[in-house]
Amino acid sequence: MLFFSFFKTLVDHEVTVELKNDIQIKGTLKSVDQYLNIKLDDIQVVEELKYPHLSSVKNVFIRGSVVRYVHLPGGAVDTALLEDATRREAAQQAQKTK
Amino acid sequence: MADVDDGAAAPVSEPLDLVRLCLDEVVFVKLRGDRELKGRLHAYDSHCNLVLGDVEETVYVVEEDEDEDGDETVKTIHKKSEMLFVRGDSVVLISPQGQS
Amino acid sequence: MSFFGFDSTLPRDRGHNTRAPGFSQAADPFAGPRPEDDDDALDFEDTYDGLGDQLDETDDVFNDDTFGDDAGPVTKKPVGKDFDFFGQTAKVSDAINEEQLRFSRQAPSSRGPPTTSTFPQPLPKPARTGYERYKEPDYVPDMQVDANLWGVAPKQPAQAPAFGSPMNPGIPSGGRKMMSLEEVEASMRAQAKKPAQPQHPVQQQQSAPQQYSQTPQQQYQDYPPQQQQQQFSQPQQLPFQSSGPPREEARPAHVGHPHQPVQIMQRSQPTPNQPIAPTAPSQPTQILQNPNRYSAEQHRSAPAVQHPVQHPGHQSRPSGSRHIITHPQQLANLSDEERAAFLMEDAKRAKRNHKIFLLSKDNGLMTPQDKNFITRIQLQQLVTATGNPNEHGSDPSLSEDFYYQVHNQIRGGPRQHPGQPLSNFAQTYLFQTGGRHGGLRRQARGGDNHMQRMEQQVQRAVEAAKNKPKNKQLVIEGSLGKISFSNAKTPKPLLNIKRADSAADTHRPSKAHQVGVSGSDRKTVLTDIENVYSTLMQLEDHERLMPPPLENDDINPELAGFHIDWREKEEKLNRKLWRDLKVHEPIGATTTHPFIAFLSFSKGKKCIPRVFRHITQEQRTTILTMIVIHLDQLDVVRQGLLQPGEVQLNSATRENIELFSLAVMHTLFGYLNEAGLDIVTGLLGLILNINIDVIARTRIGVSMLTMLLSRAELIKQAGSNEREWDQWVGIYNAFFDALEPTLPNIFPGTVNTGEDVYVWQFLAAIGIGASPEQQQRLVMAVKDRVMETVAHAKTLPTAMSSQRLANVNLFMRSIGLDVELLA
Repeated sequence: MLFFSFFKTLVDHEVTVELKNDIQIKGTLKSVDQYLNIKLDDIQVVEELKYPHLSSVKNVFIRGSVVRYVHLPGGAVDTALLEDATRREAAQQAQKTK
Repeated sequence: MADVDDGAAAPVSEPLDLVRLCLDEVVFVKLRGDRELKGRLHAYDSHCNLVLGDVEETVYVVEEDEDEDGDETVKTIHKKSEMLFVRGDSVVLISPQGQS
Repeated sequence: MSFFGFDSTLPRDRGHNTRAPGFSQAADPFAGPRPEDDDDALDFEDTYDGLGDQLDETDDVFNDDTFGDDAGPVTKKPVGKDFDFFGQTAKVSDAINEEQLRFSRQAPSSRGPPTTSTFPQPLPKPARTGYERYKEPDYVPDMQVDANLWGVAPKQPAQAPAFGSPMNPGIPSGGRKMMSLEEVEASMRAQAKKPAQPQHPVQQQQSAPQQYSQTPQQQYQDYPPQQQQQQFSQPQQLPFQSSGPPREEARPAHVGHPHQPVQIMQRSQPTPNQPIAPTAPSQPTQILQNPNRYSAEQHRSAPAVQHPVQHPGHQSRPSGSRHIITHPQQLANLSDEERAAFLMEDAKRAKRNHKIFLLSKDNGLMTPQDKNFITRIQLQQLVTATGNPNEHGSDPSLSEDFYYQVHNQIRGGPRQHPGQPLSNFAQTYLFQTGGRHGGLRRQARGGDNHMQRMEQQVQRAVEAAKNKPKNKQLVIEGSLGKISFSNAKTPKPLLNIKRADSAADTHRPSKAHQVGVSGSDRKTVLTDIENVYSTLMQLEDHERLMPPPLENDDINPELAGFHIDWREKEEKLNRKLWRDLKVHEPIGATTTHPFIAFLSFSKGKKCIPRVFRHITQEQRTTILTMIVIHLDQLDVVRQGLLQPGEVQLNSATRENIELFSLAVMHTLFGYLNEAGLDIVTGLLGLILNINIDVIARTRIGVSMLTMLLSRAELIKQAGSNEREWDQWVGIYNAFFDALEPTLPNIFPGTVNTGEDVYVWQFLAAIGIGASPEQQQRLVMAVKDRVMETVAHAKTLPTAMSSQRLANVNLFMRSIGLDVELLA
């Protein structure tokens, strides 16, 4: 749940989702779920000329599995906290599997 | 993901514990699709989802030269990202200490 | 039936009039009409002179235009009932009919005597009988129509033949309430005329034309027909206007119902014979009431007779509409239609009330406490679903969503429970230095904060020192006079062999050196660091589980037990943390002490502030001591040396130094500010044993020295133990001697880079504590840089220039000088 928790803090921030088919979609993160499916508002395809078929789309729901990257605003991430959250997650995971 | 060495109370008892040691360290990540990343590891989970900071991405693109038949040249594309979430299913390996 | 259809009853009215002259009689509930008598006495055909046929009805179709375009009693809602004069009049006519009917019923018993009495004295009668009645307080109630009567109303059409005589007396009674002053006057005039008119049918027949016009006024005073008046009666009536003394008496009645006549007249034209029973006969008047006209016309005299006629038609529409809404009495006097509307509304209201009742019938079933309880249950369920970070022992649910919860607290997001223990998490990360906002901002914030505090401390020390200046003159003399001396001194460091080899050791840190540990060690150190973090988080979790504080008098054994357990666990964790930190590893056992290796990793640096929160004062002292002892081995010191020819350190190192300055130095600074002089002296003594040359040429090293020197100065100024101070002075002198050869080289880069603030602070810190002789040496050592900086400052823009000069002056003032003296 770490990344679900993480993405929840990024709601309403502008992110760029890079899909596995190389399309990059920039938009406002509207919601995310435990599968890391992503909903974006006010989207804009980064290379619009190359991928014109999304030019009239205003918001998208992206299945988590097709995501390669999500480019995030660095200022919106508390790295120290995130690292500790990761440690906690790891500890918890270790406890579960024991 | 990693199977567990049961009973081992040692700090490094499973592969992901090695990744844990790399938290807040620069790591090298190899991805599917001829991509490599180098950046500071801020988060990971059991799916190898990652968050990297100050990332440099290298993409290797094979291009066929049109003038010389059959010859292929590998082009590298470098990209940078301030903060990057990487979905785990693309990750091939994570290595500590990016080789520069 | 047209208006004149109504008139057709007049002959019979006359007959009736003979018995009940004046409306007063008609009002008498017991004065019922005697239809038989009337019928016997009069026959319509006998009395009707056919004048009605002469009436011009050609334009009657336009009446709707004039009085309202809806001919039916059911008016169009949008237009408003108030406009519908015709509709109202129709009801009035109904009311009249009803009244007639009622009258006809009552008449047989009560009507008899009055009629006879009226005969002899027709003239006085109208005034007396009619107006006196009005004065009686209970008269009006009498006038209220018995609602039961209207139920019979539909029968009236059948009685139409008997229409005239029986109901005429009744009509006034109905209309009496509604009479306006004018109408009353008109009726009085008519009454006054009556004596002249034959009371008997025979007479009536003789004076048919006149009677025709007068009787309506007399009996239907309320609705003097416009045409009728104009055509027949006006000339006759006018004379009588003056003869209406009772006018005044009639007024009370007017007040309530002044304008009925108008309506009745209107009614009579389009649909004269509406048998439908009006429930409140008096009401139409009010609908027509024109409030503006109300008081004014009340007192109007004769000429006003015509006014009522004209008013309703032309003026009163708007005013009437206004009126129906505003007049309070209207409620009581609703017309049939209005009543219907009102009843409808009432029904709606009732329906709504019923609904409300149905909905609210369970109101109060739960007390507010019950509801509170339910709310709490719901909240609890929510909390368990989402994971309440504040819930003790629910760590799994917290760690599920740890990042989000804490992040929200830090960034001011919505808190589930403000001020709850989670805030210590927030504090942990909020005050954690260096880790937030990524690398870029780390730099921006980084050392500045620390440097500012350092500068403040030095400045305080300098200011304090200035207040008790030591032989200033001597210093000036020395600084200006013995330049050659300082030149002679400078070769000294070159001769210092010991320093040279240690410098060689650290001068060229390789890449491997940067890490400071070998590959296998690296993994070990990283594991150590991760262990520290684990323990730290356990401690932080444990801190949240701290039981409520014990009260002195309230000794709760259970609570006390909790406290004991809690402390035990805390101590256990603390020992674990201490082990993980490896501070007590033997020095020299490895090439790099584990703790120093620990500090060479950024996350090792970052954890120091958090570690300090959970360790004892002695442990802090130990850590500081360890750092000071290994100061020259710290990565930030070894890498912080500028190589010859280098102007700036590489960015990674700079970032590292910032981080160390922010995370470690800041923490140590905080601790040292509470430390005593003995500790400061001891630490400086330790530094004497290591490579001062290296330390003094790095930013972290200089910061550490500045920290110690300024702290010592502040302690001294605060007043300190004589023996301790002597110790300090001894150590200081040794330190100064060791440092002196390095002084000319401590400045990083060239004058142009301007990143030498911390050096000036350092020099100031040295200068405060220096003896006059030491101050002279100090000035001589750095004189060139002072001159260069001052000269360079003159070439800079004012703001930058003054900044540079201020930096220099920080030092100059510490030894009792000022840059001004050099200018």
